[in-house]
Amino acid sequence: MNGRGPVAPQRSAAVRPATSRRAGGDPLIRLFHVSKSYGAESVALRDLSVEIRKGELVFLSGPSGAGKTTLMKLLFAAERPTEGQILVLGRNVARLGERRIPALRRRIGVVFQDFKLIQTRTIEENVALALEVLGRPPREVRSKVFAMLRRVGLQHRRHDLPAALSGGEQQRVALARALVNEPAILLADEPTGNLDAELTIEIMDLVAGAAARGTTVLVATHDQALIRRYARRTLRLEGGRLIEDLPGGAR
Amino acid sequence: MIASFHQLVYFLRAAFGGLRGSPLPTLVSIATIALAVVPLGGLLIITGNMGALLARHGESRQVTAFLEVDLAPGAEAELAQRVASWDGVTRVELVTRESALERFRERLGGGALLEALEENPLPASIEVTLRPGDDRGAAAEAVAAALRALPGVDEVAGGEAWVAGYARALALVRSAGLALGAILALATLLIVANTVRLAVYARRDELEILALVGASRTFLRVPYLIEGAIQGTLGGLLGVGMLYALFRIAVPQLGDALDLFLGWSQPVFLPPERSALLVGSGAGFGLLGAAIAVARTRVS
Repeated sequence: MNGRGPVAPQRSAAVRPATSRRAGGDPLIRLFHVSKSYGAESVALRDLSVEIRKGELVFLSGPSGAGKTTLMKLLFAAERPTEGQILVLGRNVARLGERRIPALRRRIGVVFQDFKLIQTRTIEENVALALEVLGRPPREVRSKVFAMLRRVGLQHRRHDLPAALSGGEQQRVALARALVNEPAILLADEPTGNLDAELTIEIMDLVAGAAARGTTVLVATHDQALIRRYARRTLRLEGGRLIEDLPGGAR
Repeated sequence: MIASFHQLVYFLRAAFGGLRGSPLPTLVSIATIALAVVPLGGLLIITGNMGALLARHGESRQVTAFLEVDLAPGAEAELAQRVASWDGVTRVELVTRESALERFRERLGGGALLEALEENPLPASIEVTLRPGDDRGAAAEAVAAALRALPGVDEVAGGEAWVAGYARALALVRSAGLALGAILALATLLIVANTVRLAVYARRDELEILALVGASRTFLRVPYLIEGAIQGTLGGLLGVGMLYALFRIAVPQLGDALDLFLGWSQPVFLPPERSALLVGSGAGFGLLGAAIAVARTRVS
């Protein structure tokens, strides 16, 4: 490690190393020669090295099957790399024991394309989960959940079940749940994949707002219009390789 | 294990919510535990009553020698004195023919039958009380044999082989109860474990979401353990209730058949501590079944 960030330029001439340093914060996510395969035939990630600093908003782009979701899963320890090391918030996720994973996840908010809300619980209860796993007092949970729902504009729907909400509203709930705990990192895997253009902007503004508050955000998307609009650092994956690391504004 | 009171409240809410969310498997589980508790409790009632009868006889350790009716005057008292000097005998009471008839009259509450008797048919007897001990009637049997060998003794009651035989029968019933209990416990565990596994499977998405937001293994599993314990407790309570109802209905119907096992003593239901033990066992089985189910569940 030379302090310039672990991007592997030797793999592709298009890779621009260490653009992350411009964000100025400490590196919160570091990948060192990470590979992930599901058997010999299916390689999801190949020798990926990258560094993401505190407070950055980074897009992860690439076609379907490029390895975006696999990378996300590795970062919140839903899967383990086949090779390489992953440092997230100073912890080596590749070697993290099962019992230490929950503590890591409490500092990472995750949002998915399919929202992953519990359909039998109200909006308020869904958002509260992230605080309840910490054993926070009910009064604190209620006030934080209310404040968070107000931030995403859904405080008036807090007693509704997810099914009563539109897709955009459900994604706002998922975002509220991911952020209510004030995580250090927000991972959003195709968060706008199911939404129309207007709702996409609405959700992305909330995501960008989290980054502005100091949360490190990684958004996986294949929506090039979205990437152009926000003009942030973009990591481009193809066939499991990092083929581009474009700095913000370099469109 | 549980970080705070708030988490405990959360677990209880989650557990009761889970039970409400899957009423049918929950009811099946509760009914299964109740049905396992009934025969086990029934055996406890039987062995409890048999044990009490045995204890009563064991404690009183009384042997009665009935004397020949034509003994010479004074011979009865002499015999009683002789027996009183024996080792292990704490008390000897001579019941004369007259007092025997008096006792009989008292028990029957008088009546024309006794009035019609021309002479007293009852023999005199010597009631021998032995020193307390835990030899399952061996001492009583020895004293009975010695009494039989005495001249003037017609018949001896108590200290017979039935005490030892009854003790053996009780041990047999207890062993059968243990075997039946083990089988029922295993069946109950499997059913509860499967019920909880179904509940876990039905809420798999929910568990994955909880794991995603950082729920620990304990946080994910404790509500299911509480569910199992609640099912077990309710099953135990229901089982004891059913057993009590059955006891109240069946005992008057059985009558003579019960006398065969319990003599003429009135059967009693389980004492409160035994009932509580049964309910507690139900809770334990529920908890263990749930623990088996959740131990075999993996959430990524």
